[in-house]
This record gives sequence, structure tokens and C-alpha cells, in this order.
Amino acid sequence: MTSTAHLKISNVSRQFRVNGGELTALDRVSLDVKAGEFVTIVGASGCGKSTLLRLGAGLDTGHDGLVEHAGKPVTGPSLDRGIVFQEPRLFPWLTVERNVALGLENAAFSKAEKQDLVAKQIALVGLTGFEKAYPHQLSGGMAQRAGIARGLVNRPDVLFLDEPFGALDAITKAHLQGELQDIWAREQITMVLVTHDVDEAVYLGDRVVVMSPRPGRIREIVPVDLPHPRERTSAQLASIRNHVLDILNSTTRNGEPKTIAKQPAQVKRPPIKTTSAARNAPRSQPSGRPILSTTEI
Amino acid sequence: MTLLSDNTALVPRSLQGRARTWRLRRGGLRLRRVAVALILPLALVAAWWLASSQGWLPEQILPSPAYVYATAVEMIASGEILYHTGVSLRRVVIGFLFGAVAGLTLGVAMGLSRRVDDYVRPLFLAFAQIPTLGWIPLLMLIFGIGETLKIIVIAKGALVPMTLNTAAGIRSVPANFVEVGHALRFNRWQTLRLIVLPGAAPSIFTGIRYGLTHSWTALVGVELLASSEGLGYLLVWGRQMFWLDVVIVAMIAIGIVGFLMDKGFDATENRVQRWKQKEES
Repeated sequence: MTSTAHLKISNVSRQFRVNGGELTALDRVSLDVKAGEFVTIVGASGCGKSTLLRLGAGLDTGHDGLVEHAGKPVTGPSLDRGIVFQEPRLFPWLTVERNVALGLENAAFSKAEKQDLVAKQIALVGLTGFEKAYPHQLSGGMAQRAGIARGLVNRPDVLFLDEPFGALDAITKAHLQGELQDIWAREQITMVLVTHDVDEAVYLGDRVVVMSPRPGRIREIVPVDLPHPRERTSAQLASIRNHVLDILNSTTRNGEPKTIAKQPAQVKRPPIKTTSAARNAPRSQPSGRPILSTTEI
Repeated sequence: MTLLSDNTALVPRSLQGRARTWRLRRGGLRLRRVAVALILPLALVAAWWLASSQGWLPEQILPSPAYVYATAVEMIASGEILYHTGVSLRRVVIGFLFGAVAGLTLGVAMGLSRRVDDYVRPLFLAFAQIPTLGWIPLLMLIFGIGETLKIIVIAKGALVPMTLNTAAGIRSVPANFVEVGHALRFNRWQTLRLIVLPGAAPSIFTGIRYGLTHSWTALVGVELLASSEGLGYLLVWGRQMFWLDVVIVAMIAIGIVGFLMDKGFDATENRVQRWKQKEES
């Protein structure tokens, strides 16, 4: 299934009508995402990164140019393309279990298969034991886990994530980034993640797409040739991060006089083995995790 | 299977034990609340008793509590009060159901479609401004003074709040939620059933509550004017015969039925909207 997953965005522009005028959110953007790749998109606000994501997911179709997934033009949402929003957008009147199950509402599985998939997905995001909890009983991090589970439950080819950790505190965020990386490695799902957090973009992405605002364009695509899972504190990662920050600073200079401060890596993690075997083998007991495993309550 | 090794420590407080002590505490609280709620009614009865025993008002106008109590006992024993309550209740239930179903349908249509709303709302608001009782003279000429008239008037009482609250509730469902349905390829029916109606439920319940109240008000009004049975009729008849004890018994019966309906409705609402209950703190 993943062999056909291939997202092709070529020469795409998107304009919005704002107060009678035309606003160019995206200007002739082209981007190819390989099957199984983790692409992160980073940029200042107004650079069109979320617009690009929505076009890819098929939530917005008012563009010029071509958006293709698996060789077919994207004309609307599809169950082959999952999406996770910044706010988890869980329905407060449904339990975690039933919220996740909504992702299978239109999938061609039997009832038993659906139940099984939902349980597996809830376990994958570490919410076992909370199936019957209502969203208001969850912390922000747990709610976003449920949001991710809903996006993944139908086993999509591509998962789009729109600043999924933007509203979380630093520790929870670091923790969930690690878990998302594990899920990606295990499930081999192509992921496209939009963020304004450079650390996040560099830590997770195989390639980091740096965008510039007004009009939204791709400024540069920075490859991160480091094996997953990565060590946050590695020197190579730091130098790539600084490079991305430099590009970002140069993109905002001619717009608003705004600089993005270089931040230190948010959380020091104990080293995790970075052998390529670790990517494919299921992780039995995540070693070196306990420091963070109970931070999110 | 789980990537997060140990999460029993993450179980929210609300899902863990402590239920027993909490229930005990709640039992005490409930008793207290009942006691507090009874203070005002008891004070009112005391004032009533004082006023009649001191002869502040003539007995024909304000009979003593004891006398009214005797009448109540007699009317209950003879089945009279039960009969009239039953007649009124039946009218309210039928009228309310018609009004509520029509209001729900109209409200959903207005909430979902801007166009329907544009066409219907101005006229609807104008109609709604006319008090329910103001419709009676015209409706009487068309439908006579039989059951049809009463059902229509009661239904109209329920229709207005039901429609407006349903429409407002549907409008207030966040576009973000609807977009989730879009992303998951929900069709129109799924969106309505899984997102729009549950999202509008709190508002719809408010509509039902107001609808019930308005139905009762309309019922008593219509029975005052055109009826030979029912609690409203009892009021008119009692007044004409100058049996103020009967009038007061009927008033109390109306109050009790309304109160019980509201309570029963509360219980239903809490059951349906279990997710709204906040964690105890």
C-alpha cells in the first residue's frame, strides 16, 4: 500500500479574497513527497504552510496547479489521507473510543474488525485504559494522542499534521514528538507535518521545507540525513537547526522586522540507539524513557 | 503493544475510587438542598395561615389552609382532581409533541440552510411576537372550541422556543467539528446525526424546556376560555362559584405537575448529556 503513496504538488497557487482584494497564500509551490517519507514544513505565520497542508489533504481545493496523491488528482478529502489538527477536535459528547472509531465510520470493515482496529490504535498512542473517558477528562497531551489515533485508525497512506503539538507544554510536546516518530517508524506511513517550531521540524523531518511569507513560497528544502530515532542534542542536528533558522530569519527580514530567536534544545533526552535496525524492529520496551513517561498527567 | 510503558499513573482522578465517600457526601448535600428549598413554601403557607386566621382578608376570598386542605383531600378521594389533571396532561403532551416535532424540523431546516432561514425567519418572528392567547379568537372561528383548538394553541406555544433554540444550537456547532466530518468523508446524514445534532443538543434541550413551560401556560389559557374539563376549567369554574378553595387546589395541582415535569426533564437531560457532567472536585 505504501508503495503507491506518493504526493505530488506541482506549480500550485492559492489565492483568497480578503476585503475585496486578492491575497496570494501560495505562489507556484512545488513539492514531491516520497512514500514513507517524513516531511516537515516550517515557516513564519502567513507563509501558507497550513494552506499547503489543507490542499494536500483535500480539505481545500480552490487552487491552481496540480495536487496528486498516488497518481490521482486530489479533489477532496479521502480516507487514504488522514489529518490531525492543532486542536484535537474531539467531540465532547463521545468517549475516546468512539471518537477514534469515527475515523472508521465510512471504512469497509466489519464491526469486529473496526473494534479491533480502534483498540490497537488506542494502544499505539498509549491511551489504553482511557477508552471510556470523555475528552474533558483528558489532559491536552492525551487529547492530542486521541486525535492522532483518529487520524491513523484507517491506516491512511499519508498522514497530514497541522501544528499538532503547537498548543502543548514543552515537556509533553517533546514526549509526543518522540512517540510520533516511533509510530511513523513502525507503521511506515508517509507523514507531512506543519509547524512553526524549528526544533520540531528538524528533529522529525527527513526533509525540512522552509517557507517564506507574502506570497507563500518554498524558500529552501533542507535534507536531514540522520537516522531515526534521533538524539535531540546531537551536534549535527544543532547545526541543521541553525541553518534552518538562518533561512527563516532571512525570509522574514524583508517582510516584518521579526527575528526568530535561536532556542536551546528543549529537553535533554538520554541517548537512544540510532541503528537502522531500530527503525524497522518493533520497539519492545523503550529504554531510556522513564524520565518522561509520567510527566503528562 | 503500547509504546508508553506505564500509564496506570495517568488515570484521571475522576476514574479512580473515592466514589463511596463522595456518594455519602452527596446524600448529605441533597438533604440540605431539599431543606433549603422548603423554607420559602413553608413561610408562604405560614403567612397564608396568619392572614386567614387574623381575618386580614374575608374568608370568601382567602379560605384558611385547613379548609383548602380538606377540599384537596376530598377532591383527591373523589378522583376529581386526578381526572382534571389527566385531561390537562393529555392535552399538553399531545400538543407539545406536535409543536416540538414541528419546531425541531423547522429549526433544523433553518439552522442548516441560510436560505430557508432567510425566507422563514422574518415571518416566523412576527408570528411569534403575537402572544399565544392572541391567536385564540381567530382560531376559534376556524376550528371551533373543541380539542383541535386546544391542541393547536398548545402546539404553537411549544413550537416557537423549540424552533428558535434548535436553529441557534445548530448555528453554534463549531465549523471545526463539521470539517472533521468532511475530512472523514461523512455524508449529509452522518454529519447531521454524528456532529450537528449532538453538538446542538444543549440548545435543543433548552428549547424543549421552554416549550414545555409555554405549553402549560397556553393550556391553562385555552382551558380558561373554552373548556368543560381540565385544570384551567377548574380554575374558572371555582371562581365563578366563588369556591376559592377549589381555585387554590387547582393552582397547587398545576404547580406540582409543572414542577414534576421539569424535574423529570432534568433527569432525562442529564442522562442524555452524561458527557457534560464535570468531574467532582
